[in-house]
Amino acid sequence: MEFNTIYNNLFYLVPEIAVSAFLLLVVLADLILGNNKKLLPYLSIAGMLVAGFCVMNQMTFSGAVFSPSGQSKSFGMVTVDSFGAFFKLLVVISTILVVFFSFSSEEIKKSTRRQGEYYTLILGMVLGMFLMISATDLILIYLSLELMSLSSYVLTGFTKLKDRNSEAALKYLIYGAVSSGLMLFGISIVYGLTGSTNLYVINTLLQSPQINMLALGIAGILIFAGIGYKISAAPFHFWTPDVYEGAPITITAFLSVASKAAGFALLARFIKVTFVSSVAPSGHWLLIPVFPWKELLIVISILTMTLGNFTALWQTNLKRMLAYSSIAHAGYLLLSVAVLSNQGLVAMLVYFAIYAFMNLGAFFIVMIIANKIGSEDLEDYKGLGYSMPFLGVTFGMFLVSLTGLPPSAGFIGKLYLFIALVDANMITVAVIALLNTVVALYYYIRVLKEMFLSKPTGEPVSLRLSPLSLILILVMLAPVVIFGVYFTPVVEFAKSCITILGM
Amino acid sequence: MNIYDIVFYLFAAITLASAFVVVTARNIIYSAFSLLFTFFGIAGLYVLLGADFIAVVQLMVYVGGILVLILFGVMLTNKITSVQIKTGTLQVIPAILGTALMAGVLIKIFTGTNWHSQMAQYPTKTTAYALGHILLTDYVLIFELLGILLLIALIGAATIARKEEKAS
Amino acid sequence: MELLIQAGIALAKILIVITVMLLTVSYLVYFERKISAWIQNRRGPNRVGWYGALQPFADVFKLLLKEDIVPSNANKFIHSLAPFITLFVSFATYAVIPFGPDIKLFGRTIQLALADVNIGVLYVLALTSLGVYGLTFAGWSSGSKYSLLGGIRSSAQMISYEVSMGFSIAGVILLSESLRPMAIVESQYGFMWNALIQPIGFITIVVSAFAETNRLPFDLPEAEPELVGGYHTEYSSMKFAGFFLAEYANMIIASAMIVTLYLGGWQFPYIDKFGLSMGLTAGIQVLSFLLKMALVLFFFIWVRWSIPRFRYDQLMNLGWKVMFPLSLLNLIWVAALIMIFNI
Repeated sequence: MEFNTIYNNLFYLVPEIAVSAFLLLVVLADLILGNNKKLLPYLSIAGMLVAGFCVMNQMTFSGAVFSPSGQSKSFGMVTVDSFGAFFKLLVVISTILVVFFSFSSEEIKKSTRRQGEYYTLILGMVLGMFLMISATDLILIYLSLELMSLSSYVLTGFTKLKDRNSEAALKYLIYGAVSSGLMLFGISIVYGLTGSTNLYVINTLLQSPQINMLALGIAGILIFAGIGYKISAAPFHFWTPDVYEGAPITITAFLSVASKAAGFALLARFIKVTFVSSVAPSGHWLLIPVFPWKELLIVISILTMTLGNFTALWQTNLKRMLAYSSIAHAGYLLLSVAVLSNQGLVAMLVYFAIYAFMNLGAFFIVMIIANKIGSEDLEDYKGLGYSMPFLGVTFGMFLVSLTGLPPSAGFIGKLYLFIALVDANMITVAVIALLNTVVALYYYIRVLKEMFLSKPTGEPVSLRLSPLSLILILVMLAPVVIFGVYFTPVVEFAKSCITILGM
Repeated sequence: MNIYDIVFYLFAAITLASAFVVVTARNIIYSAFSLLFTFFGIAGLYVLLGADFIAVVQLMVYVGGILVLILFGVMLTNKITSVQIKTGTLQVIPAILGTALMAGVLIKIFTGTNWHSQMAQYPTKTTAYALGHILLTDYVLIFELLGILLLIALIGAATIARKEEKAS
Repeated sequence: MELLIQAGIALAKILIVITVMLLTVSYLVYFERKISAWIQNRRGPNRVGWYGALQPFADVFKLLLKEDIVPSNANKFIHSLAPFITLFVSFATYAVIPFGPDIKLFGRTIQLALADVNIGVLYVLALTSLGVYGLTFAGWSSGSKYSLLGGIRSSAQMISYEVSMGFSIAGVILLSESLRPMAIVESQYGFMWNALIQPIGFITIVVSAFAETNRLPFDLPEAEPELVGGYHTEYSSMKFAGFFLAEYANMIIASAMIVTLYLGGWQFPYIDKFGLSMGLTAGIQVLSFLLKMALVLFFFIWVRWSIPRFRYDQLMNLGWKVMFPLSLLNLIWVAALIMIFNI
């Protein structure tokens, strides 16, 4: 590869370069400004805005860059397409929201001296996610996954004053190390089979019949273990509740939305680019018959959502409950991949666009209440609906949307998912998912019941919302309400974003 | 069986035997100590494959860096605190079944697969030049990303290690 | 037959180098004592032999005849192994250092280096990082807290300074575009010595060499008032002699490395222009290598008897906050030189 080619290819990586530049800027600013850390969050937000702007510019791009010499030009290491741009936008938006969350988080405020590290690591996570979303080379996939994981391990244990926090970080690290080891082993088997780490090259090689199915099957499962860990799919979900409970809420919210989005983008792209030979005119993907992705994904997703929903029933800590709820949502989202069609992809994008706002919103309100009453236990939420009417009502709306009841936006997400399922003749699966939603209804509504129908136990607390918090809640509430009734733009946007560059 | 084969089996035997000691030794210092030989054996295998640069870097990074850190950790915690760091054995039967199954599958895979392979060439000159060239052209993105990854790891380690100020 | 001759030549080179090394080590101890006496205005060893010239042998006999004491709660195996690791590392490093140009003898070309390894510089670095094990194991296995602390101190110190040493070597590699010590020496033809081209790198490598060899002003592992004898507190007899020998052998290697990397190795400026015969040229070059080494060794000893010891935190601060950035700066400087002058 000549220097000129590298230089031209860099043009496709402008968002990633912007994120890296701002990452370094935050480190330097932290050093230069000394004890004045006020500027750092604004710098991170500025970085995200610049990155978001660059991503918007790339909306119509499509191409694979950084192809190793001796390979066809289209067999690149990084693929830039509208699918990737959609997820990058999602990551950018949730990062901006999470940085704003951090303004009002008591946990983060306590460690003022380490603010610089906090924002640096968040930007590091964003860079990892960006590359995960558009990686089409196994080495790059592994590295970006590690970049994201490393930052998130540290962020999970960021506030060191609580034992739970360090426990969460350690658990996250140990599970993460095992799963990335498994993934690396899978990658090495794939490399041994094909002699390449490039997904496009592997795709062409898989279409020849001499591939050993058993070896490829094991490799596929191992690589899926690495990705499944990131999206907390069962049986790789064990870390989720502990980590979500122990981590600072801002990070919990970030993990549950952004890193999950990046994981799903990676999974969808990995399957599409590596294992799909062509796309039928109806939008269905024709799998190369070497690995039963559909069956595997269906089994895993049913397991994930059932486990998530049923375990959530018994939770008394709201962060833990939301953790299990996010496992359940990962199950639904896995179904949208399992459909293996463009309709499934649209459903996934719509679902994610809505899920991001409602989940972040729910976590934000839990955080505000925890700031005030110092607890996330359901017990302490008794009667809060009366002492904090605004928060109670908005929290209710987020929860209803998470359940997927009409007329909230969550309903639209589920609707498109079920349409895609029925379209692909997966009626049984659709019914199981529907039944799961009914279970989910119970534990979401239970929170509302505690808030509005129980007598407050202690003194009534009153809370004055800061203007920033109010604006943030409204910003997150708006899409949840509006997309519930007026959803055409989201769907149209999602439909325009399903190009995954592949064979 | 030519000389390369003999050397290969020698290094492989060193690696396997010392790795076995690593997992079975009761004293964790002995584990760390025999890990030294495992890394040596692997470095020898790299040399046999003609990867001289990687072999030396393996020694520098794993033996010179990582293992020393492990030893530090073990030594500083082993005697100063009164906690005995010994490895125990739990759940013997499920573990044997699990590993036997895994070993069976892996052996089946590794013997029954037509691996993508090519004849090893013994390089006449050092691989450092070729490696450097490929890292700065074809894999420049990965190289730079590694830089950022290490920076993040460094910052993360410093964050975790730094003493937390009291909540005021 | 050919193989036998090759093996014979290799064996001869090894024998010569080891003998010279051992002799140099013993006389280095002697000279250290003499120079220190001279600096402190006293006489130094003067009883055994002519002006005490046989003193090193007397010392060796003394150590040989002493009782070998192993503390009761020491880990016997590792306790005896540690000095061997240290010695092995010190002597193995010498294999790649070139001490003269290729010479023609009886119709065949002989390289004046035990092994002309392609990645010789990395080999030295790798072995140096192994040297840590000798100290760490010695400190741990003695079963004494002074030894443990001494061992950990010295290995932490070595690891820290390895970084800046590595980076100052990187500057040299950048210029010579090779990891072969021979090629690095050849690239410093005339007065193109690296010490003159990249003075910052020279400073950092000299300072790191002091730290790597645990010499004053960085001899914290042996800080008598706080740590008794450091990692070898519990060693006696020949095992102690092993550490002692290794320390001086390390000094020789460090000075040989500094000469090779930064002071032109065996090059004598413009000697090929003098029109001397082949053998004489080679002789002068080997001599100039030895002379340079002797000067660096003298510098080592001179510093030891002139500068007080650093405190441990000062040592670490110097290593990470001064030497490491300086060595990075040196790397940038060399890169800029290459960019500008297209060397």
